[in-house]
Amino acid sequence: MAKLDLMLLRMIKNSKSQFLAVLIIIVVGICVYTSMNMASDNLGHTLDSYYEENRFPDLFVQVMGVPVQETERLQGIAGVSDVSGTLTMDVPVLSADTERRKTLRLYTTKGDPRELSGSILLEGRPLSQGRKEIWLISQYAKANGIVPGDEIRIQVSGMDHTLTVVGVVANPEFIYLIENAQSIMPDESNFGVGYLSEATGRMIMGEGQNYNYIRIEYEPGVDEEILTEAVEEQLKPYGINSVTKRENQLSNAIMQEELNSLTMMSDSLPFLFLFTAGFILVMILSRMVKNDRLKVGVLKAIGYGNKPILLHYTKYAIVVGIIGGLLGSSLGMALAGAMTKLYLEFFNLPLLRLEFDITYIFTAILLTALFCVVSGIIGARGVLKIAPSDSMREEPPKKGKRILLERAPFVWKRFSFSRKLVMKNIFRNKKRTIFVITGVTLTYGMMMFTVTMPEVVDQLMNQHFTEFQRMDYNIGFYKPTDESAVGDLYHLIDIDYAEGKVEFPFELSRGHKKQSVNILGLEKDTRFYSFKDAGDKPVYVREGGILLSENLAKSLNVGTGDNIQIKSFLTEKTELDLPVAGVIKQSLGMNAYMEIDEMRKRLLEEGMVTGVFLDSGDDAISEKLLKAANIASVMSTQDMRDVYEEYMELIIVSIGFMLFFSGIIGFCIVYISTMISISEREGEFSSLRVLGFTKMEIFRMIRRENNMITVIGILAGIPVGWMFCKYSSEVFSTDIYSLDMMPTLGTAIWAGVFTVGFVVLAQLATYRKIRKLDFLQALKNRAG
Amino acid sequence: MTILRIENLCKSYQMGEVEVKALTDATFDINKGEFVVVLGPSGSGKSTLLNIIGGMDSPSSGKVFFKGEEITGFDEKRLTEFRRSRVGFVFQYYNVMASLTAEENVELAMEIVEDPLSVDEVIQAVGLGERRDHFPSQLSGGEQQRVSIARAIAKNPELLLCDEPTGALDYDTGIAIMSLLRKLNREMGKTLIVITHNSDIALMADRVIRMRSGEITEDTVNLNPVSAEEIKW
Repeated sequence: MAKLDLMLLRMIKNSKSQFLAVLIIIVVGICVYTSMNMASDNLGHTLDSYYEENRFPDLFVQVMGVPVQETERLQGIAGVSDVSGTLTMDVPVLSADTERRKTLRLYTTKGDPRELSGSILLEGRPLSQGRKEIWLISQYAKANGIVPGDEIRIQVSGMDHTLTVVGVVANPEFIYLIENAQSIMPDESNFGVGYLSEATGRMIMGEGQNYNYIRIEYEPGVDEEILTEAVEEQLKPYGINSVTKRENQLSNAIMQEELNSLTMMSDSLPFLFLFTAGFILVMILSRMVKNDRLKVGVLKAIGYGNKPILLHYTKYAIVVGIIGGLLGSSLGMALAGAMTKLYLEFFNLPLLRLEFDITYIFTAILLTALFCVVSGIIGARGVLKIAPSDSMREEPPKKGKRILLERAPFVWKRFSFSRKLVMKNIFRNKKRTIFVITGVTLTYGMMMFTVTMPEVVDQLMNQHFTEFQRMDYNIGFYKPTDESAVGDLYHLIDIDYAEGKVEFPFELSRGHKKQSVNILGLEKDTRFYSFKDAGDKPVYVREGGILLSENLAKSLNVGTGDNIQIKSFLTEKTELDLPVAGVIKQSLGMNAYMEIDEMRKRLLEEGMVTGVFLDSGDDAISEKLLKAANIASVMSTQDMRDVYEEYMELIIVSIGFMLFFSGIIGFCIVYISTMISISEREGEFSSLRVLGFTKMEIFRMIRRENNMITVIGILAGIPVGWMFCKYSSEVFSTDIYSLDMMPTLGTAIWAGVFTVGFVVLAQLATYRKIRKLDFLQALKNRAG
Repeated sequence: MTILRIENLCKSYQMGEVEVKALTDATFDINKGEFVVVLGPSGSGKSTLLNIIGGMDSPSSGKVFFKGEEITGFDEKRLTEFRRSRVGFVFQYYNVMASLTAEENVELAMEIVEDPLSVDEVIQAVGLGERRDHFPSQLSGGEQQRVSIARAIAKNPELLLCDEPTGALDYDTGIAIMSLLRKLNREMGKTLIVITHNSDIALMADRVIRMRSGEITEDTVNLNPVSAEEIKW
């Protein structure tokens, strides 16, 4: 082995803690890169294959009722390859637990293995036509401990039905099992999906020979927009409730969001680690070269040129990069399997094939090599400036200059001698100070982002369910009904206050931009919604205008005062132009709002309601409404909050990981810079020891330097954290929820506490070095 | 035969905020195989002179010729090549690589030349046979200086430049080192330039160049050089 390489290996051995610290950052970064990319690929491939095998459709149309033969006619549209009609209905489940309403979404199935959105029978047997048998979606069955052979009771149109569970299934439409866009997270024990044979479905749900839910598959390569319009046109006479494209289908949309954020994380997070590692390497190598000034001079005197010496130091970075890349990608591969399985398990997807894309390993190694070579050259470039003759001479003392604080004698005089030393060291070692400040700033910024995340989700829930919408219950009817139904409810349950509502899907458009959303018709002086614009000014629903949620306005590219076109899927009222009366802040979901009477008059029918918002202290509302014929859904704000609390526990785990990752960066930067600082200042510390300073006093001096730098770093970290949050708000906001990540005083304090915690840990780790330092030897040493 | 020719060499450099005139108008020749001692007190410019001769530093003005070729006109690459193949350095503080053993330190120099001496031969020549696998921290000052000398001669250079080779050593070790250098000069025919402030060492030299304040004050030939064992300081 070349002697320079041997020296390199021994150099690594002698500075193994520093080497290890950089290695850890690289390993973590590359591990995240490989595992997340592979998991994202595997999840994406599995999802695609799963959709393909189970024929996930291109379009979903909810209609009031369309004759069976009409669905067959749809098949005649050129470009449509398959159509399947089904009956669907949300029904309450009768169970011993009456406090919370359990809802089952029923679908009929023909039992044909080639049916669109076909179910996979995981357990049990096929359905028998005409018998009171049901398949349950696996998440619901599992959450409620239901197995084939058990019975469940449901209520449809006021009648009880007992069904035997004969199978547990998975379905591509409910990979992510949530009731609607407002639910945000799955509540698997209270919302489920059941599949009945068509004969049984018709017997229970009625509807004669009609279907109310149509799934459509297109031929590959067709113009989906044109086809969708053709389908809408044909189904319009039968009353379209909603038209949902494949990409907007709730479960699929959430899955795609999940995939997107996984890809985004896997694309950005590793770079943060690699930049940090590169940053640290530059620091380590530049300091190493500075310390090795004499060694470099001797090598040059012997006859070594600049290139081999530069390469000698750069190899340090290359070695750490290669080991980090190999370890990180191997670990990432191992984790990718576990991560993919975890994701697939979480989403109830069957594992079809676990693929390990070897290119990620090559890319990872190439990436680290690139980062490390560049950092290595930048860090070691000082080699070029060392002249052998100069290196033999003692370095001239640095130009003595007063630091800024010394020019304020009033302040300066108040410092003790050791504190003055601390100040001078901070201001004179500008590069080191900037390096550590940057590290602490980055750590604090990431910490702030991390601790803001749960707070924001918490705020989002609070804001949405207590400030934005304030009802205790949101009751939905099966069919639109006369507004007298609101009064009828007073006879069934104790109501403090109630308002009728209309909620219907419409297509909103401006120019070529279109969006299908639910428009909510609300009382002019509704007590249940409080709208505010971007400037936090109250906005009200009024005749002659429509309110749009911010995300909706953005997707249509409209603002207050612009006119939009509202297209009804229903037959009677077709199109209407309305000005946007306001753009309102809404954290969850995407909606438009109109004054109820105007909406009914101009778009629907006068006097109709589709549901009721109400406040009530009655704890038995679910139970009391169970038998009411036209009640399709009872959503309690409190139930939503409870589900959210459970969900938060899951979030806490990922927050923990993020905190750990952020902490690693801070720890490594503070640890390495302190270690370097101690090595560089052995002579200075030795002199202090001779003067009578104890090891603890010297450690305290270093600690004070770091403390001051930490404070500056944290202060600089506040705007950085704010920027991280702002950026994330934009990146992570979706059609389903809008994040407004604004750090609060609380999150700023918590981020500070965590940052300080990791800095303290790093300092404790360096104390060992101070304790072991041979000060007398340091005074004697002339390094070679 | 002249191996080295120095012509009107001057050097001044910046030390912090002070400009130091290290060398003023130095001119002399050195013959092949000669043992020359450059004698002078600390700060007299002898190290600067040695650094320029060895291609480690460049003069502010003046010329250095090695075997008739002007090395002061060399670029960085040719200077490196010159140091690599023609010159061996021995330093006052040895400057051996702490992370390499005695033998590895010697090999470090051998790796970059085409026709080095055998490592065993060199190690034996400097008397380090038993200590070849020891790291510098396990060696005495004299042994470290032997490593430094071995490293210098391993490349088989024509010119051996020694900067205060006994400066950091005790008397006995100093004598041993000087004896070794003399042996290499006499037996291997290496041209040897030793700079020192120790006038007793000058008794061993074939020629003595005295310096003071950057100037050559005397250049004398020693007709009766003594052996290392005969000198005392």
